[in-house]
Amino acid sequence: MQLDPRGVRFAATITTVVLAFVLITGSGWLAFAQAIVFALPALFGMRFSPYGALFRTAVAPRLGPPAETEDAAPVRFSQTVGLVFTVVAAAGYLSGLTAVGIVATAFALLAAFLNAAFGFCLGCEMYGFIARFRTAGRTA
Amino acid sequence: MSVVGIIVVLAVLAVATAVGLVVRARAGRVRATRPTESVDETSGWALAGLAPDPDDRVLLLQLSSPVCAPCRQTAAALTELAEQETGLRHVEIDVAEDAETARTLHVMRTPTTIAFARDGRELLRVSGVPRRQELLDALDTELAARR
Repeated sequence: MQLDPRGVRFAATITTVVLAFVLITGSGWLAFAQAIVFALPALFGMRFSPYGALFRTAVAPRLGPPAETEDAAPVRFSQTVGLVFTVVAAAGYLSGLTAVGIVATAFALLAAFLNAAFGFCLGCEMYGFIARFRTAGRTA
Repeated sequence: MSVVGIIVVLAVLAVATAVGLVVRARAGRVRATRPTESVDETSGWALAGLAPDPDDRVLLLQLSSPVCAPCRQTAAALTELAEQETGLRHVEIDVAEDAETARTLHVMRTPTTIAFARDGRELLRVSGVPRRQELLDALDTELAARR
């Protein structure tokens, strides 16, 4: 499956704003809502991304066809990374471990902002590391 | 409203902007191998699992991960370059399958492209999608050795 890169940046921009609001309001439920937004594409595929659907229906028709497309697999993986961080964040805030919520949200915000502002996919870069250390752990 | 939260937002955005600017400035640029990265007596050709043909002058060994959009752009660009330039070979390695090679070469991010001379010497490295002309200029001497 191929994605419109502008849609990916659009979704990352909304995510950045939502995560900033999580930190400002300290709302665990907002973090939980964002976790669900990550969970849908991570579990079922990119066509189930709520922000992606918003882009397709409301934004893409005004922009015209994309000049290039990008592969869905790396983006889907980055949604999984986002899911892990926002689940930890929601659990932290809602259980009263506010510091855990803040740190996890901060990392998710960092990744979302890098994607929105620079098109740099931290979740995708991390994949190599994770595979690397997993193998290192096995052979050590 | 959380004052700590607002401070964290501002701090994260400042750090992310700095990181983003550094990554963007370095992406695709040819750089010399750092002393800590250099591999003694290890030929890139052996790591790529091939021996150089008589005409081969330079090997571009690309380290990629499966979920990496710039890796695919890099692979397409380098495949094309290797077809056009005599003496230039391109081999792509998946670090998820071959973590050992990434460790041996001290590669920390993908895509990283490492150029090796015919004799196995490491010539240069590029992180991100290589800038075509910059890469060709940097390899010019080595590629010209065939003429």
